[in-house]
Amino acid sequence: MLSLFKRYRELLIVGTLLLYPLITYLSSGHRGREPNIADRAVLAVSSPLQRGLTAAIDGARGGFSGYLSLRGARVELDACVGELSQSRAELNALTEARAENERLRAMLGYTEGTVEPEIAARVIGVNASPHFISLRINRGESEGVRVGMPALTPNGVVGQVARVVGGSADVMLITDPSSRIGAVVQRTRVRATAIGAGGGADLHLDNVLYGDDVVDGDTLITSGTDGLFPKGLVLGKVEKVTREANAMFLKARVVPAVDLRRVEEVLLLPSILAFAPPVPEVKR
Amino acid sequence: MRFAATVALALFFLSIEAVLTRELGLEVTRLDITVVLVVFLGLRATTLEGGFAAFAIGYLLDVFSGRPTGLYPFLAVLTFLLARAVSAFVDARARALFAVVCGGAAVGNGVLAAFFSWLTSRSGSSATFTSLTGLPLQTALCVLAAALLWPLLRKLDPAYERPQAGMLR
Repeated sequence: MLSLFKRYRELLIVGTLLLYPLITYLSSGHRGREPNIADRAVLAVSSPLQRGLTAAIDGARGGFSGYLSLRGARVELDACVGELSQSRAELNALTEARAENERLRAMLGYTEGTVEPEIAARVIGVNASPHFISLRINRGESEGVRVGMPALTPNGVVGQVARVVGGSADVMLITDPSSRIGAVVQRTRVRATAIGAGGGADLHLDNVLYGDDVVDGDTLITSGTDGLFPKGLVLGKVEKVTREANAMFLKARVVPAVDLRRVEEVLLLPSILAFAPPVPEVKR
Repeated sequence: MRFAATVALALFFLSIEAVLTRELGLEVTRLDITVVLVVFLGLRATTLEGGFAAFAIGYLLDVFSGRPTGLYPFLAVLTFLLARAVSAFVDARARALFAVVCGGAAVGNGVLAAFFSWLTSRSGSSATFTSLTGLPLQTALCVLAAALLWPLLRKLDPAYERPQAGMLR
């Protein structure tokens, strides 16, 4: 037996190296696995390198553009001071509204004790595979990032956290083929599912009936029904609505509101489940 | 030595590539630098050393992909074995020939990755094949990278460090 192993040692070892990952892949498919110790070690080595490179590039770019923009600084300063005064006035009004909101919530017995804070993160890399499209950010478990947290910019939704390790996390983009988001057309409130088209550029609409009122240019927002994304976040604009004869559902393309190729910072929201009101206790 | 060097190179290049991809805004088209390293191993390393190194490089790419599934270690070992088979017929000691073999490997790698992604996709849709639209540019970048990395890779290969004639006499 031992001599047989020695004889075919190379074949057995290389065969195992070939078949083990294949079987793992075919059994797990697109789901992937939770990061193990080796994954964490690799990411612990690569994340500081990526962070350093990103900082160096941003620093060089910032220094150059800062030098160029010095000329118009005085004019911009005056404009900013004016805007700041206006923003302060708006902030006061919002503070009042917030206080009122909190009073009303308290009256309704709604508690925010479990809601986690929002987390701002910087994009330090884009994954090296064209088949799974994700961004690497510089916030991880230690900062409270959790799998499933929605990531967005002021323009709209970017994606959701797919994997978290110590000091970094990976955000799966909404254009990834595995991404499915509950959506609603803002104008007509028609419900839909926004699915990543896989090319890294756009999404397509699913589960929209042939006769539903959807036209080119409609804004698509999150519906809040998928258990991940809060309601009302902008996903993108509907384009190329097509209704094929004898089809039950219409087809449409959605151009993301965010230019996903140029995302530099994202805001991570707590999971939508954290917003859910507490279940009232049943008195017996 | 060669095992550690190629794996360290893969880790270094993948880290840089992730940052550069962010800066350049590329999405569908990527430079698959790991193919160059695996082909080099296939042409120059022993079966065991190359097999383990290819597996490790594929594993790194898997981790960097954001969703480790096992696809890339499998493709890396497969590419290594195919490159090893090719080495029986082609003596890729010249830079141009090495680059051509890497280009061929990049095409095969891309097609196989798209096929297996489609095979396990939830809906079995053709959306996973969209990544193939970037394959020609990806292949061209891979050929270019192979040509540029050739001098560095040659230094990892002891076969090139031959003693000069008359040195031992």
